[in-house]
Amino acid sequence: MIAVRRAPRRLRIAPYVEFAKRAMAREATYRFDVFTSIASVLVRVYLLKTVWVALYARNAAPKELPLHAIITYSTVALLMGLVMDIDQTRSLHDRLHDGSIATDFMKPIVVPLYFFADGTGEVLFHALLIVPSLLLALFIVHIDVPAPAVLATFFLSFGLGYCVGLFLNFILNCTAFWTLEISAVQMIVTWVSDLLGGELVPLVFFPAALQNVVAALPFAAMFSTPLLIYTGVIPPERWAAALGVQAAWVVLLGALSAALWRAGAKRIVVQGG
Amino acid sequence: MKRARVMWNVYRQYWRINVLTMLEYRANFLMWSVFTVVYHGAALAALWIVLTRFPSMNGWTFRDMAFLYALWMLAHAVHNTFFSTVGDVPEHIREGEFDRLLIRPLDTLFQAIATPGAIFPDELILALLTFAAAAVFAHLRVDTSFLLFVPLIAIGGALIDLAFNLIISTVAFWFVRVDALRWIVVQLEQEFTRYPITIYTRGVRLLLTFVVPFAFMNYYPARFFLHKVHETSVLPAGVGLLTPAIGVLFVAVAYAFWRFGLVRYQGVGH
Repeated sequence: MIAVRRAPRRLRIAPYVEFAKRAMAREATYRFDVFTSIASVLVRVYLLKTVWVALYARNAAPKELPLHAIITYSTVALLMGLVMDIDQTRSLHDRLHDGSIATDFMKPIVVPLYFFADGTGEVLFHALLIVPSLLLALFIVHIDVPAPAVLATFFLSFGLGYCVGLFLNFILNCTAFWTLEISAVQMIVTWVSDLLGGELVPLVFFPAALQNVVAALPFAAMFSTPLLIYTGVIPPERWAAALGVQAAWVVLLGALSAALWRAGAKRIVVQGG
Repeated sequence: MKRARVMWNVYRQYWRINVLTMLEYRANFLMWSVFTVVYHGAALAALWIVLTRFPSMNGWTFRDMAFLYALWMLAHAVHNTFFSTVGDVPEHIREGEFDRLLIRPLDTLFQAIATPGAIFPDELILALLTFAAAAVFAHLRVDTSFLLFVPLIAIGGALIDLAFNLIISTVAFWFVRVDALRWIVVQLEQEFTRYPITIYTRGVRLLLTFVVPFAFMNYYPARFFLHKVHETSVLPAGVGLLTPAIGVLFVAVAYAFWRFGLVRYQGVGH
């Protein structure tokens, strides 16, 4: 057992900015990975375009999402995935696993903020990759650009969706305080959320019964809501309700994250020697 | 003869250790098995959802697409169960463990294949069940030729997988980090085998037929079994039965490349 150090009274931001910068620099060293992730965006954009064109070619198009809208939807989903699919607080799990978390608690920092800062740096670096990926994607597909008000609401909704993903990942990483090994569980959640979040197939295509189930889960708040705002399936009069549901998930998962962290930090067990 | 017996004994020990490892980490193994189910379940569910809204994809209904997927899954599971350890070679090279295999009196590739990991045939069992269900669901006539060819095609498809696994691992003799390359090929295989190749542009169809022949893992054999003879893609439906030959051919090429790399391997300086 290690006593949890009390957080210093006055929080200084500067060290956390530095943590974020270091994480960005670290990500930038994997140059070949950067190259492949951009190349893979190109391949996947080609694939999504081909698949949707084939599906729409011989059948009546669904009225809520015509071909140009579904291609826009899927391409924007792919670009969102570049930052959404990152497990920002993975280092928490890793440090619980190898025991180095013990020394983190001795440092004069707020430990969860350190993990968030590190994750933010990583995410910001990958967010930069969206620009070249988008420019290359435009060689293959045409993306609809909505009115400025829609675009602004989309970014707000994307921000909320990002927070839902962040807290969901943090909760999973926190469970490592108790179980120590969570890779498989994490992969299961990732696969389920990709499908039920509407990243692969828009939720409006799901059979009605399944749509009700999916609406009760937090995954739709991650991908589906921002994407449906972007493509105009959610009209302006329903924006407030949609954003409200997302905000509710952020508050709920944020509170759960805080509770789990407090409980976990109290009973820290370091595996092995 | 004696050599074969030694190899057989080593191989038996290899599976014994795999099973013991699995028994030691039961909870973890169980979670990974659940993940395997979720992984394939999500892929099939996505196909199902799309094909409830659209009646078909280039004439392929959900029944056809599920069979296409199950055929790939079967071949891929055979590969993952028996040959996936070949993919660990780059890591062994990086860690300096590979050099140990070179001084032992058994074939290096055989040793690489028989290096114990946490391998258990859970994916293969799931793939067999899925394949049986998909075959019934697609109303396939199960006769002697079906029962004769399906295992051959699954093995042939697994060999195609093995060939690319081996080629990528061989590249690690020169370039130590090949994770990104492997990731691209794996993604190409998983996503592009999910749909009938007729949806792709001509260049991609040629690529998937002759260069990275993943279309032989499932598309051509599925087209043969589903009697889609009138479809115009690169080759006629009958070539679906050539999968085992294609597998052997590509493994032979990959093995030659492996030998070529092995004699030039100089270690990474441990």
